[in-house]
Amino acid sequence: MSLVLAVVTPLLCAFLIPVFHLVWKTLPVCLVGVMGLASLAASLAAACTGWVSPAASLLGGWPPDLGIVLVADRLAAPFMLLTSMGVATSLVCSLEKYGGGPWRYYAIFFLLAASMNGILLTADLFNLFVFYEIFSVAAYLLVASSMSWQAMEAGLKYLVLGTMGALFFLLGTAFIFMATGILNMALLPEALSVVPRETLTVISTCLVLGLALKTGAFPVHFWLPDAHSSAQTPVSALLSGALVKVSVYALTRISCLFFLSNGGGVFRVITIMGVLSILGGHLMAFRQDDIKRLLAFSTVAQIGYILVGVGCASAAGIAAAVFHAINHMLMKMGLFITSGDICERVGTRSIRAIKDTAGVLPANVAIFTVFALAIVGVPPLNGFMSKWFIMLFSVTDTGLCPALAIAAGTIISAAYYYGVVSALVGSVVRRNTGSPGNNDLDSPTVSASSVITGTFAVLCLLAGLAALWPPMQSSFLSIGETAVDIEGYARLVLGK
Amino acid sequence: MLMLGYSSAVVIFCTGLYTIMARRNLFKTVIGLSLMEASVLLVIVTSGFIPGGVPPIAPFRGVAVNPLPHAFTLTAIVIGASDIALALAFIVKLNKHYGTADIDKIRGLRG
Repeated sequence: MSLVLAVVTPLLCAFLIPVFHLVWKTLPVCLVGVMGLASLAASLAAACTGWVSPAASLLGGWPPDLGIVLVADRLAAPFMLLTSMGVATSLVCSLEKYGGGPWRYYAIFFLLAASMNGILLTADLFNLFVFYEIFSVAAYLLVASSMSWQAMEAGLKYLVLGTMGALFFLLGTAFIFMATGILNMALLPEALSVVPRETLTVISTCLVLGLALKTGAFPVHFWLPDAHSSAQTPVSALLSGALVKVSVYALTRISCLFFLSNGGGVFRVITIMGVLSILGGHLMAFRQDDIKRLLAFSTVAQIGYILVGVGCASAAGIAAAVFHAINHMLMKMGLFITSGDICERVGTRSIRAIKDTAGVLPANVAIFTVFALAIVGVPPLNGFMSKWFIMLFSVTDTGLCPALAIAAGTIISAAYYYGVVSALVGSVVRRNTGSPGNNDLDSPTVSASSVITGTFAVLCLLAGLAALWPPMQSSFLSIGETAVDIEGYARLVLGK
Repeated sequence: MLMLGYSSAVVIFCTGLYTIMARRNLFKTVIGLSLMEASVLLVIVTSGFIPGGVPPIAPFRGVAVNPLPHAFTLTAIVIGASDIALALAFIVKLNKHYGTADIDKIRGLRG
């Protein structure tokens, strides 16, 4: 029951907002906050269900092989936790920034939250496609929601590439339906094992290409830097922190269920995409001067790390990938929110221009530096831990090449993050030593977003230390074991 | 009949993909998307066809065709329509701003 609520609650909020708009022209902030809390509670309940006692709920009373089933297990639960945290953070930041004014924005926002939960929970391939399209349309609209022409262009670019991805995914789904006659993700692994190898190759090409387009992996990443950098700050944080992880989840789930035992080189393709994303993303980020664009290209590279982990095709590798997904959510959301705050104060997004201006808050810079150190991979922080684990398992499972790419990528990322941090620190130093005329900027107000980013910075340190704690390691390993346990998923969905 | 359906779907899909890749006008990009979508739907509808099948309505007289792909197609048509409508809305807005729908003349869409 709680699984249905995780989809229905945010959906209900999305449809109630236009109704409330008829009453209040500007929505009361506390009303949107209560809605956000309700959908957060529903998502967390589903995540807890999935973690403690994995469950399936049948929709409409149909037996599981005919109807649509929602499933929460140990692979979906951490992603559910990650996205609900991301959505809540982004909602708090938007409420702080825009108040209750843009009701259309909030309606789309809750629609996005509902569809993300739907993607994470569904066990039906066509249902996955439908949720994916709701998710994508909401994401295009959120990217373009500032109505500036850059945002509009980025939204259109995202839309064209995202729709192409969706069509490839739909084509793959159609081929699966033609080959087997079923769309239930628990019954398909067995049904696909008797499908001819050539057919399986076509199916896997369509599905992986479609999901790669949606994920923003390197050869088909064109939309991601534009969309993530031209959206407003809370939306950028949500896109980089939570949205791409949902696509990563869909890719992991589908490739593990359908192609792990049936072969077909899917995992090798995922590893190659991961390596290309790491190198390409970092090299492109190195050339950027716009701070948000730099962070967006860094996201491409970090997706590469996650894909390399998934490409290991082993429980340990996938567990490391999930750990990195969670860490990346913490780090990248923090980076986007703090840098958005800094850019707004300074009035520019160019790193070179920040260097020449004073007026950056020292607290913001300190928090930004912690996140930058974490994402580069400085030892006690979480970024180091997850990269280390991915490197370790990729050496044993896929060979030396991905590990070398990770090492090279880390060096490049250290170079460009050093550039950003030194520009920011230089600006703070200049303000403290230089002209006393800028003191009007010295308003030490504690905003909700800075509290959240501070908490995330502490969580980065804690997650890094927790990774050394054996019970934590074994519970993460159980995520990977759930992902590769195809029979267990079938038992859970079919209720045997 | 089945071969005709599938082969025309392949031709339409490739036409759509080529249109998106090669044409520089944004409206033609949307036409390409729409063509790709139509071809995928054609594949799905054709997959439910059984030669000599009857409509799947309650008293069956003979072998009924598979109604499930038709339900998929209807859902996918609605989704596709919303995608296309949104794309056109974006293009109209951009066209107002730039006075053109040429990809090369709109800065952010180049490359």
